[in-house]
Amino acid sequence: MRLLKEWYDAINNATNVDAIEEIRISIFGKKGVLATEFAKMKTASNEDKSKIAKELNTHKSALMNELSVKKTELQTQELELAMQAEGLDVSLYSTSSEAGALHPVMETMDRIVEYFAALNFAVKTGGMVEDDFNNFEALNLPKYHPARDMQDTFYFKDEMLLRTHTSPVQIRTMMAQKPPIRMIAPGAVFRRDYDITHTPMFHQIEGLLVDEKGKVSFANLKFILEDFLKFMFGEVEVRFRPSFFPFTEPSAEADISCVFCKGDGCRVCSHTGWLEVLGCGIVDPNVFEAVKYENVSGYAFGLGVERFAMLIHQIGDLRSLFEGDIKLLEQFR
Amino acid sequence: MIVTRSWLNEWIDLEDIATDTLCKTFNSIGLEVDRLLTYAVPKKIIFGKVLECEKHPDADKLNVCKVDIGTSIRQIVCGASNVREGLQVVVATIGAQMPSGLTIKPVKLRGVESEGMICSASEIGLPDFMDGIIEIDESVQNVKLGDEVNKHPLFSDDLIEIELTANRGDCLSIRGVARDLSAAFNRPLKDVVINTNEDKRVGIGRILNLSHDKDYHVNLRYKAVDLNNLVLPLVIKLRLSQIEETRESCILALMLYATHSSGVILRAYEHSFFQCDKESMAKIDLAECENNFACIYTTDKKKASTVGIIQEDDSLAKIDTGIVLIEASYIPPEIISKQMQESKIKSGPLYYKTSRGSEPELNQGLDYCMKMIEMNSESDIYGGVIELCDNYENSIVTISKDEIDAIIGFSVDKSEITKLLKNLGFDTSKSQGDSYVISVPRYRHDIKNKQDIVEEIVRLVGIDNIPSKPFELKEENRLEDDYFWYKKRKTYRHKAANSGFFESLHFVFDEKKVLDSYGFEILVSQKELLNPIVNTLDTLRPTLLTGMLKAASANAKNGYSSIKLFEIGSVFDKERTESVKMSMLFSGFQTKYSLANSGKPAKIDFAYFVQKVTDIIGSFELEAFETSHSLSHKYQCANVILNGEVIGELFRVHPNVETDYDLDTTFLCELSFDKLSTELKTAVKTSKYQTSQRDLSIIMPKSMKYSSVKSVIETAKTNEIIAFDAVDMYSDESLGDAMSLTIRFTLQRDDRTLEEEDITSSMETVLEALKSKLEIGLR
Repeated sequence: MRLLKEWYDAINNATNVDAIEEIRISIFGKKGVLATEFAKMKTASNEDKSKIAKELNTHKSALMNELSVKKTELQTQELELAMQAEGLDVSLYSTSSEAGALHPVMETMDRIVEYFAALNFAVKTGGMVEDDFNNFEALNLPKYHPARDMQDTFYFKDEMLLRTHTSPVQIRTMMAQKPPIRMIAPGAVFRRDYDITHTPMFHQIEGLLVDEKGKVSFANLKFILEDFLKFMFGEVEVRFRPSFFPFTEPSAEADISCVFCKGDGCRVCSHTGWLEVLGCGIVDPNVFEAVKYENVSGYAFGLGVERFAMLIHQIGDLRSLFEGDIKLLEQFR
Repeated sequence: MIVTRSWLNEWIDLEDIATDTLCKTFNSIGLEVDRLLTYAVPKKIIFGKVLECEKHPDADKLNVCKVDIGTSIRQIVCGASNVREGLQVVVATIGAQMPSGLTIKPVKLRGVESEGMICSASEIGLPDFMDGIIEIDESVQNVKLGDEVNKHPLFSDDLIEIELTANRGDCLSIRGVARDLSAAFNRPLKDVVINTNEDKRVGIGRILNLSHDKDYHVNLRYKAVDLNNLVLPLVIKLRLSQIEETRESCILALMLYATHSSGVILRAYEHSFFQCDKESMAKIDLAECENNFACIYTTDKKKASTVGIIQEDDSLAKIDTGIVLIEASYIPPEIISKQMQESKIKSGPLYYKTSRGSEPELNQGLDYCMKMIEMNSESDIYGGVIELCDNYENSIVTISKDEIDAIIGFSVDKSEITKLLKNLGFDTSKSQGDSYVISVPRYRHDIKNKQDIVEEIVRLVGIDNIPSKPFELKEENRLEDDYFWYKKRKTYRHKAANSGFFESLHFVFDEKKVLDSYGFEILVSQKELLNPIVNTLDTLRPTLLTGMLKAASANAKNGYSSIKLFEIGSVFDKERTESVKMSMLFSGFQTKYSLANSGKPAKIDFAYFVQKVTDIIGSFELEAFETSHSLSHKYQCANVILNGEVIGELFRVHPNVETDYDLDTTFLCELSFDKLSTELKTAVKTSKYQTSQRDLSIIMPKSMKYSSVKSVIETAKTNEIIAFDAVDMYSDESLGDAMSLTIRFTLQRDDRTLEEEDITSSMETVLEALKSKLEIGLR
């Protein structure tokens, strides 16, 4: 019996799962100590037998318990070590994305379209190559009109031209559809201008609403544009200044308080505290006459998407928007 | 258009209005302020008078002056050549901080004490309008010796540059701007009083005769003057320099000044230009030139000017003595813009004004000009005028109060409307009840209809004073085709970005030479761009690919070794028909450098590129193909087939093109965007039972296309085979001209778990078909 006591120490001193297994065999195996001890019982008296048996069984279950506790303990220890060996220097791993990104101009366009679509405006598109009638004449810009100077135009040899605004889409829609009209026309437009602040191609979104005469007012135009500009730029102040466009009358330009300096005056707003963001007005009767609409009233507005994108995302260089520059684009993941 | 406060003040009293308020008002009435410049002459610079002026004993170019500065007399040494006794000057006194940073202190100049400095214009921060020191003359009013210069309105002025819209020719003069301000501030215009003493004058009719062959839409008015001793006063010199103008003679400078002030187009001719000989009467003939412009001729058909367009150099009055004819003219802007559109001829400096509408009230401009001449010379002015007027009647616009309110969406007070219109110079005296009958003065040629009138009311009431109001809308379904097209593009853009591609935008312009060299079809010449902006953008693009290659090249130079770009944009065929393409470019490494690839990412290859494109547009088939252009690698080039239809091309870029653009291995794909699917997906019933996989390694000739193997399996396959894909290719010398292709089959039944026999018999069916149709089989 004294012998068995030593095995308790052996279990306690075991250092790995293999040693535990060896001990288990030495104790409980066919030739193990327990088997030997039980064998010795044969020679004992009956009275002693039951005493020995009782004692041996107590030891048996105690040893089994010790073994399993120790084994679990050692297994846990070994797993811990194994995992330790698999340890990483997590600081080696940075989170640099492999994802692509959408172009900020197109994303801005999406946001604008989303706003007007939610307000039940139809989305209309049209071709880039246009004729003089749809791009100019029908928009109250006859051939000799000085305002044509404002829009230096790309012409083709066959007298067609690249649209200078998306307004021809509105003319085409009005020619094809009866009022009421409630639409926006997003798309690329072209002016013959190429410097730091101008690219020969840029994107516009123009809106048009036409309804019965007397129904559409300047106050309606103000309402939707104030709301729209706040949707796009957050809490900004909006002001309107009278302006001139051949296709609207009265016409106005809308300014927002400078998003950079909050109206205090900075380089971006030329120290005025205001940023000019869109043009708008009540549709000129000559435009309705050109598309043969009678007894209607309407408003129209137009804006440059690049300008919006540059103000919203604080992009400094207009030309970089047309260079597929990953250094710029990856910032918009 | 440049105005200054002091100049405006000649026509409207603005003294109580702060510059800030003035700028705000300009903006709110539609005259946008572009630039504000305040002239700030420093303190301690005062008016003085040179009492004595003597040569400096030790310096030739210096003068020693005794200057009266009101409170005392100072000795000042001055180097200017125009300093002289009796001159009123500007003196910087001791302690003055000059704009240059210099502080005035008592100094000794070559041994002579000097207590101050007599200043030139630029030394006190004004534009450099006269040589030497400033000579204060009688044109500068209210000058008291000793007064601070910066308290004088002429020298503490604000210059405001306003940007005018094309319709506002009436504001291209100081008087015109003042007229608009008079409506905005509701205060009257000052009348410039002109005293004419006609009694003792020789009538102009003695020296000038005007004839015309027919009626023209032209107004002309002439005065004649015998010029003598004309000197430009300081005020005019200063103001001309403020508007950045100079002229070669005083009389021409004065014409320009009077034109900028009054808006009336004024020209000065040599009287002799129209004379046959020295004694005869000058004869002016108004007639049409070969381009149908109204022109001023001499009797022997020498052209003096084209009305509203340009004055010939020969007829200009270039000297300030002798008889000069002063002409005021007006021609309606719509007439000259139309004629210029028909035959573009050279135009002079005043064309900008006349094409936008110059001032038609000729007398006020001409009288103003004569007053200037009278004040600044000892000239004799001839009595009377010679003039020619067209028959013009003001246009009449009738509009009711209700119509005005409906367009604005807000009711403006009736009396306010009347007041506004009156201040703008519109005659409303014929109005009755709620209906306005408005007679529009000629200088507002831009006002033609009701909405033009409303625009005037809106801008003067102030748009910010009109309350916003939502539009009441009738519900309607406005989700039309264009909207769905837009949504489709958005969907594909998102898919491409999610697959690692960057969206790029390029101009629809491209370079003819480059396109041509790669074999792209360019626009037929009669449909080509007429006025390209640069020769690298001289045609419309037939493809998005060249733009993407250029962008990829720039990115590679920028240090990017894995470049993924896409664009959805318009292209044009040779007939200039527009269509939309979607293109993808993949260049260099498949991924970035990282620990995961030990710094050696794999290069992009055909399989990986096809995988990436599939992620974006869904499954498609490829078929060997040769592109019509030479951007592609001939042997890694395919048609992209979707639902049996060719929708575009996918290829590796030709090694030579990679060299051209300095690029690593690059792949391109260009698809017809309209042919990409927008169908809503439908789900098919899927089996719940286990799937099994089985690989077959087929030995087949290298020349055999997988597409033929695929189509045989496609037709022969049993119901159990739900998918099969080529997963491995192997060839070695022992195989010779053949190779081993491993195809992995996925099998499943929807009614029960597969048995081994199901699999074997399916595989046998496939093998039999391959054997009988293509004579290929297992190794």
